Amino acid sequence: MPYGSLDRTPPPFFKQGPTSLSKLLLLSALALFLMVADNRFEVGKIVRISLATVLNPFAKAVAAPVIAIQDSFKYVDTISAIKIYEQETHKKMLLQSQRANQVEVLTLENTRLRKLLSLKETLSTPAQAAEVLYDAIDPYSRKVIINKGSLHAVQLGSPVLDELGVLGQVVRVFPLISEVTMIIDREQTTPVLNTRTGVRSVAYGNSSAHGDSLELRFISGNADVLAGDVLTTSGVDGVYPAGLQVAKIEKVDRRADSGFAKIVCTPKANVLGAKHVLILAPLMTIETPRPSEVAAMPTNKRGSKK
Amino acid sequence: MIMPRGQQLLLPVNAFFMWGSLFLALLWHMLPVGRIAWMPDLMAVVLVFWSIHQPHRVGMGVAFFMGLLVDVQQSAMLGQHALAYTLLSFMALVIHRRLVWYSVFSQAVQILPMFAIAHALELLARLIAGGVFPGYDIALAPVLEAALWPLVSAVLLAPQRRAPDRDAHRPL
Repeated sequence: MPYGSLDRTPPPFFKQGPTSLSKLLLLSALALFLMVADNRFEVGKIVRISLATVLNPFAKAVAAPVIAIQDSFKYVDTISAIKIYEQETHKKMLLQSQRANQVEVLTLENTRLRKLLSLKETLSTPAQAAEVLYDAIDPYSRKVIINKGSLHAVQLGSPVLDELGVLGQVVRVFPLISEVTMIIDREQTTPVLNTRTGVRSVAYGNSSAHGDSLELRFISGNADVLAGDVLTTSGVDGVYPAGLQVAKIEKVDRRADSGFAKIVCTPKANVLGAKHVLILAPLMTIETPRPSEVAAMPTNKRGSKK
Repeated sequence: MIMPRGQQLLLPVNAFFMWGSLFLALLWHMLPVGRIAWMPDLMAVVLVFWSIHQPHRVGMGVAFFMGLLVDVQQSAMLGQHALAYTLLSFMALVIHRRLVWYSVFSQAVQILPMFAIAHALELLARLIAGGVFPGYDIALAPVLEAALWPLVSAVLLAPQRRAPDRDAHRPL
């Protein structure tokens, strides 16, 4: 019989190490610690980023053929479907061009009016385009992975938009990729403004196994909210610039038994299939010009008199 | 060694094959297929297999580390799969002497509750942490994992079932 045909390393008789139960308790405690540390302490971030950096090349290699197959299915899309899509886009563009032509005039008018009222100039935010690689596999959250990371100067907390509206916010930045939590995630809240009434509120993500939506909470039952109202970002949070479309109110359920109405909104962005997205820098990080010293003069004078 | 009657004497395991199978299971978890709650957790099946057949080589430590890798890859909560796999590996270690006496299909039925417990633990941890309930499809995942057991054991034991010396007249 050849030498290698039997396992000739006997199991250890005396050096058994810690018992399985103590190992189980130790490792479970470590796992529980990591769950707590995940988003609260720096150590969770370090563990995650180092492991993700090692795994990234393999993940890329595995994802490439799957994405190629998915793309090839799209490629054989029938020509009629594409023609219809093209016509629709053309119509949409015509409608938009009319409004877009007015933008120049309106911006000019807006700056003049703002100067007249001596309000702060609205900021234009730096942006970069990115591509959605895939949905995060975790079925307990609603996240997507995009192909820009800290090497492309993506900042934590940056708003992410698609062509229709706000998609979400960057929650984790790795060297080459980032994770975006979508606005429909249970953990995600977006400060919004009702464009019809000008009332500010906060939209909470309300995804479930049945469908993905947003919810306005703690709005009183007799508040002026109607189905069809459009919600945009309010711009008071220091993250999102004002005026980006977030959601449309789908249903307002004014219940007698509770003081609050149940308001369900549908997201404007394509949360199921966004492909190309825009990452904006968070508003707080953009350098705002300091108020000029002339404006500060009167208080100085008063101070010197005393 | 006391063995069930009629069971083949196995060759020693090839370490490269063992670690390679764990690596392939990790690659399976990297497939960008989207959020599918009933997706069978291949890594759990492979870890349980090696915990039962090679308890001195693959134990709770390996299971914990593999769980961490899966957590990071799926952008799940850190420690979620690590906890589930550690518990799975522990339960596999507890029953590993008894389980190999049964037929493969009987084994599959006996490890089904283990997978169910592991998934329930993951679900509980995530719901406490404020996650979205992924739907009742998730109950299908342990069943599919148990259904994969005969296939996984056949594939992973195949190299150990080869003849110890090459023979032109005998296949395998």
